[in-house]
Amino acid sequence: MIIEIGHYALVLALATGFLLSVLPLMGARRGDAALMAFAPVGSVVQFVLVAFAFGVLTWAYAVSDFSVLNVWDNSHSLMPMIYKVSGVWGNHEGSMLLWLLILTLFSAMVALFGRNLPDTLRATVLSVQAWITVAFLLFILLTSNPFLRLDPAPAEGQDLNPVLQDFGLAIHPPLLYLGYVGFSVCFSFAVAALIEGRIDAAWARWVRPWTLAAWTFLTAGIAMGSYWAYYELGWGGWWFWDPVENASFMPWLAGTALLHSALVMEKREALKIWTVLLAIMTFSLSLLGTFLVRSGVLTSVHAFATDPSRGIFILAILTFFIGGAFVLFAWRAPTLKSGGLFAPISREGALVLNNLILTVSTATVLTGTLYPLVLETLTGEKISVGAPFFNLTFGLLMIPLLLAVPFGPLLAWKRGDLLGALQRLYVAAGLALAAGFGLLYAQSGGPVVAALGLAIGFYLVFGALADLWYRANFGKLSFKVAFARLKGLPRSAFGTALAHLGLGVTVLGIVAVTTFQTEHVVEMRQGETAEAGGYTLLFDGMREAVGPNFTEERGHFTVSRGGVAIADVWSSKRLYTARRMPTTEAGILSFGASQLYVSLGDHMEDGGLVVRIWWKPFILCIWGGAVIMMIGGFVSLSDRRLRVGAPSRRAKLAKVALEPAE
Amino acid sequence: MTLWILLAVITAGVSAVLIWPLMTSARPVEELREDEAAVYRDQLREVDRDRAQGLIGVEEAGYAKAEIGRRLLALADKRADAKGTGGGAASRARHRLAPLSVILCVPLIGLCLYLFLGNPDLPAQPLEARLANPGNNMALLVAKAERHLAEKPDDGAGWDLLAPIYFRAMRLGDAEMAYRNAIRLNGESSERLAGLGETLVASNEGVVTEDARHAFDRAVALDGRNMRARFYAALALEQAGRTDDARRAFEAILKDSPPGAAWISLVSEHIGKNGGAPLAAAPTAPAAAQKAPGNPNAAQVEAMQQLSPQERQQMIAGMVDTLAARLRDDPDNIEGWLRLVRSYMVLGDKAKASDALKAGLKTFPADQEAGRRLLALAKETGLSAEGVTP
Repeated sequence: MIIEIGHYALVLALATGFLLSVLPLMGARRGDAALMAFAPVGSVVQFVLVAFAFGVLTWAYAVSDFSVLNVWDNSHSLMPMIYKVSGVWGNHEGSMLLWLLILTLFSAMVALFGRNLPDTLRATVLSVQAWITVAFLLFILLTSNPFLRLDPAPAEGQDLNPVLQDFGLAIHPPLLYLGYVGFSVCFSFAVAALIEGRIDAAWARWVRPWTLAAWTFLTAGIAMGSYWAYYELGWGGWWFWDPVENASFMPWLAGTALLHSALVMEKREALKIWTVLLAIMTFSLSLLGTFLVRSGVLTSVHAFATDPSRGIFILAILTFFIGGAFVLFAWRAPTLKSGGLFAPISREGALVLNNLILTVSTATVLTGTLYPLVLETLTGEKISVGAPFFNLTFGLLMIPLLLAVPFGPLLAWKRGDLLGALQRLYVAAGLALAAGFGLLYAQSGGPVVAALGLAIGFYLVFGALADLWYRANFGKLSFKVAFARLKGLPRSAFGTALAHLGLGVTVLGIVAVTTFQTEHVVEMRQGETAEAGGYTLLFDGMREAVGPNFTEERGHFTVSRGGVAIADVWSSKRLYTARRMPTTEAGILSFGASQLYVSLGDHMEDGGLVVRIWWKPFILCIWGGAVIMMIGGFVSLSDRRLRVGAPSRRAKLAKVALEPAE
Repeated sequence: MTLWILLAVITAGVSAVLIWPLMTSARPVEELREDEAAVYRDQLREVDRDRAQGLIGVEEAGYAKAEIGRRLLALADKRADAKGTGGGAASRARHRLAPLSVILCVPLIGLCLYLFLGNPDLPAQPLEARLANPGNNMALLVAKAERHLAEKPDDGAGWDLLAPIYFRAMRLGDAEMAYRNAIRLNGESSERLAGLGETLVASNEGVVTEDARHAFDRAVALDGRNMRARFYAALALEQAGRTDDARRAFEAILKDSPPGAAWISLVSEHIGKNGGAPLAAAPTAPAAAQKAPGNPNAAQVEAMQQLSPQERQQMIAGMVDTLAARLRDDPDNIEGWLRLVRSYMVLGDKAKASDALKAGLKTFPADQEAGRRLLALAKETGLSAEGVTP
């Protein structure tokens, strides 16, 4: 019975969504406060209904209720509980429900935390959010319903795709969706601004926390996905320029641009129309990603199910929202008043450069992703656009962007002093070059490009620190005074510095791994050894083992350095019994930020075993940098200035603002 | 019934909460735009703070403050403009429609769509509860036994019980594993070895492989009265082309069998096949049916009765596919083609039925007796023979 109540809750959420799409918008147009007050209440009710439905589906998974088709298709009674629960979104229907849950969660958060927004803006934003919700609710209920039943119920499920039976599934999709779907709020704000025909610096301040939150989660989600692919797929790579990865990377690039242009708009009321366009584009790219992954156009680990009717439905949603938003933009944007002017050498100028490069790189990735699809549709020719294309185009574009990054925070608004900024940065640049070449020397004889790459990475790190250093004025004031000033800097300054520093760390990781990694494919027999990264691996032999729903062959290796055994590692090949599907579980050992990666291949006829061993120096920097960026996002999000205008807090804030050292 | 009461309560609750904000009297909104002003005032404070900390120069601070001040002034202008416009009587009339739309929309959309999509009669069925009370559901009993064995993989009796069930359900891989486990844990017995052998034969499309033959030989050695093992051992001789030995072995089975045993006709038929005289009394019709490819054997029929409709459908589809594959290799079998076309029509797959009809007519052209039978069948089942008749 509970299953049916969950199904009903989802249907009621649709009914609420219809009302929510119309009433508050009408209220905002007619200036009716009661109709506008419907928006927050309706949004929260809708979230509660969807959350209940999601909870019911999760329960069905937890207790293995195979009378639910979706559970039977994607679960197995013997799976560990964590995979049963994360299996809820390890399939098409469930992942769309998670998408919806997060969409309504963001609506409810705008309803609850948006009390500082003007009533009309909030009502319009929530109505636009409800349009998206209705579209996806219809999609779920009519083409991807997770509450379809089986009668009689089978006794055992079909099991979850073994590749997805991993802790990564528990965190990667929720984080990624928090990012993807978070940009829907920016989209709704942009559409609301176009409908209202009013946009100003305050708008940018109101949108910023949502952009920042979405960007932060998307950063975390992409990094998590990359690490998961790295350790689970057993190829030792961390980024494949796979269309599905690109689908998540494009909104990230556009979102990064949006984050920076909104800053210009907030401070200077410039770039208004551009910012609105970026907000629309960012969510459009999120929708495009959803379409690419969910329609079955692409085949990859992510495409759980392919069904043409779903593809057409999502394509219709895509056309309606992206097309509609652009039409609205073309119609209303000319009526918006454009804002202030500025000199090319200024912080705004630097941010425009950032936007320019980020947009071009988004377009590059988009081309590289869609071109093969378009070509195949038109001519039937299958080509693959891979790493060489992206490394050449995207990689080249990134160099000027990365060089410009530390300048942004150091230049003043309106009219900056490039020479001054240069003078401040040359210490950072010098240190970076020294460190880059030093590391190169230590690792002995890498190519010059790598040295430059490393130098750019260090330059970003030192540039971020230099920003804080000069803001606190460490060189000129005594340490104690400067330290007090450092503590007094707004949190968004730390957020900026951390995000830029994290970017530097990621660049360092990428360059170090691409340049210095070593790969050995060897055939090993019990008792034989292999060398990698200065470590010796001794193959101790294979052992059979049985897991809850799989059997595996595990190979044991003893790792030693200079003849002293320091660690041991297991690497295994699993066979999941229900689907008769094999997977590899790589053995990974971390030494500082570097890793030793051992993956098992096939048995040879003469009794040997193919073993792939990688030495991946500083690889953890790639994801560590992303974690630092994420922390930067949260620090910036906690900046109290983002909460300005909340009526209940205004008095308190004014008092706090008077204390100079805070 | 309880479900409907609960759904009604939820519907009423949701409607009530949604109507609540609408029940306040319609009041025109005040366009004060206080929130926007708050943002600009805070920006002014921020400039002051930055100036106090020496983060920006005096001149820049002045410019920034002037700019923010202009925004505040512009805002004040807009505020003055906005005064005087507000909702009138018209909006109040429309306002009364809003609660009505909630009262209509929520139950109407909710119930209509749910009645279209939902399964109100189906209870939730958590696996644990079903396992605790499995009744006669074979699939559940199997699942229960599997769980027991997952915990205690060394329980030979459990494997003994499960192995023939797996075989009947045509889960041949599982059956082989179960038989091997039972033999490993409980030791060899004639029954287990014969079961293992039969599973291997079934996995190899009826061919008695070396492994299987070995199992049957051991089974016969342990118990000479194991007719099943002796039958397969004889079949191995037949497949090896040792006709005389095979005939002698089949005749020996017939001699040792009690009168009226179920397998007599089958054995008798094999005697005939290997050049002996089949037992006159043996009814021939079932034996002929046994010969036609794709006819389910006794074990399959029995297994099918144990399955759920869905699993049954799957099993039938599997058998039809096997038949299709065999006919592709050996198309000279009119009875097979007739069965295939009829099976596809029963399964509701008209496209495949039509393909099968065309393929059958290639071997048996329509101007011959066999081809006419195919066309007659097509007509009888309503399958269009367009494009296939010459």
